[in-house]
Amino acid sequence: MSLAGAALLALTPAAASAQETSPPHDQHQSPARDYPSFKLSGFGDVNFARTKRLEGPRNFFEGQLTLHMTSELSPRTTFFGEISFTPRPDAGTGTPAATGFNTEVERMIVRFDHSDQLKVSVGRYHTPINYWNTAFHHGQWLQTSITRPEMTQFGGRLLPVHFVGGLVEGSVPAGGLNVNYKAGVGNGRGSVISRGGDHGDVNSQLAWLVNAFVKPDKLFGLQVGGAVYGDRVTLATSAEFNEHIVSAHAVWQKENPEVVFEYAAVRHRDRQTGAVAWTPAFYIQVAHRLPFNNELWKPYVRFEHIDVNAADAMFAGLPSLDMSTVGLRYDASVFAAVKAEYRTWTRGTGTPRNHGGFFQLCFTF
Amino acid sequence: MRHRRLRASLAALAMLILVSAGLPAPIDVHAQTQPDIAVIVHPSVTIDNLSLADLRRILTGDREFWAAGSQRVTIFIRAPIARERDAVVRDVCQMTEAQFRQHWIGKVFRAETPSGPKIVYSADSTIEQVSRTPGAIGLVLSPVTAKGVKVLKIDGRAPGQAGYKLR
Repeated sequence: MSLAGAALLALTPAAASAQETSPPHDQHQSPARDYPSFKLSGFGDVNFARTKRLEGPRNFFEGQLTLHMTSELSPRTTFFGEISFTPRPDAGTGTPAATGFNTEVERMIVRFDHSDQLKVSVGRYHTPINYWNTAFHHGQWLQTSITRPEMTQFGGRLLPVHFVGGLVEGSVPAGGLNVNYKAGVGNGRGSVISRGGDHGDVNSQLAWLVNAFVKPDKLFGLQVGGAVYGDRVTLATSAEFNEHIVSAHAVWQKENPEVVFEYAAVRHRDRQTGAVAWTPAFYIQVAHRLPFNNELWKPYVRFEHIDVNAADAMFAGLPSLDMSTVGLRYDASVFAAVKAEYRTWTRGTGTPRNHGGFFQLCFTF
Repeated sequence: MRHRRLRASLAALAMLILVSAGLPAPIDVHAQTQPDIAVIVHPSVTIDNLSLADLRRILTGDREFWAAGSQRVTIFIRAPIARERDAVVRDVCQMTEAQFRQHWIGKVFRAETPSGPKIVYSADSTIEQVSRTPGAIGLVLSPVTAKGVKVLKIDGRAPGQAGYKLR
């Protein structure tokens, strides 16, 4: 075993697993469950980056420490929570001095499960308007690559990543097509458009979304779907926009190969001028788990494109992007992985090309 | 004398190797006679038959309830290396063991289900837990003689019948 693999194994607690361990056979356990049943798990990552032109953190930096809580409150009611701790670049500056880490309630959901066909929840979500945002959340270990695609980046402005409100969701077999749906209303974006309306909505108009996808039995591993999202956004300048987002995704979830494709288009209508602007974005990621050496190696490539409409006043200052990524993931143990990436990108026509190398050690516990 | 014995021993070893090399591969008696894997449920579960696709949906957490408004499914699955687990992870879920673990960690993390499968360490323990937990499902080697659990048909066939798919 490699040195890195041995080091990672030492970091990995053997007990970390979503699968629960029942007591030994000779212990007599009542099948009745105790409520609430609290469980805690988490994700973490440590990174290293060097880029030609400085953009983002340099050399070693901590990623996010993410704690995930689950508690069954009754046989049909469950609480899910996710808290992240993120290092701040302005730590120690300002008055009072900024803390070293941001603490954020990423998700806080209480859900009642009536059946597979109907589940009702309220809380703070990762907005279910695209695949990546709800497939990997803040678990870097779960995703193949080091980072999320830029179009769905946390703190990004292109898509509303967080959503405070209520959802109904479920799935129906539909003759083996397995149709899944989500529909909800909530606060949508805050006056700072990268943030959700945690403390209340900035206007009287609720955001709404509808999401649907299929997972056919005959093509097990395939997921195809799309979503529509609508909101009225009020900026701090009092400017107001009607926002509509349409998205689509196609994912082959097996690892030989793994394919993730997503497209989203954001439409803004300035309510004062009536001007309409569309901003499209997409990415495609392909990976393949190599069959030798216990299938520990997974090379991958990704191409991303964001074409920000210069006429979109709500996206003023948001750059376009063309980025290519080639990387390799090595699963050093069951619960830890090392990733290495080379990326090259430009942020709009005429901007200088940047490139760099990135490394990550990520794990779950 | 000692050299003669040594030569004889080496010759016998060489003969053994040659004979072994010429023989067909050893017959995997276990593979030919391996029993079917039975899907057992708590007697309160009202269905008697599952399609293989439905079994996969249950084992991957995509189906959490037996029927609308009925009990939540509780999965009892053997720890890794047990044949019952290897067979369903590989053949039913079409995953490797590592993928299966990552799938369930992700499933819980995505808030799609409150908990993953519960691990049991023997067939007796599987039967005992399934018999005591309403809505439970487990996998054990056939035949199942224990009372207190119900054996489901898969795609209309019971364990031991021709065409049964779980083994």
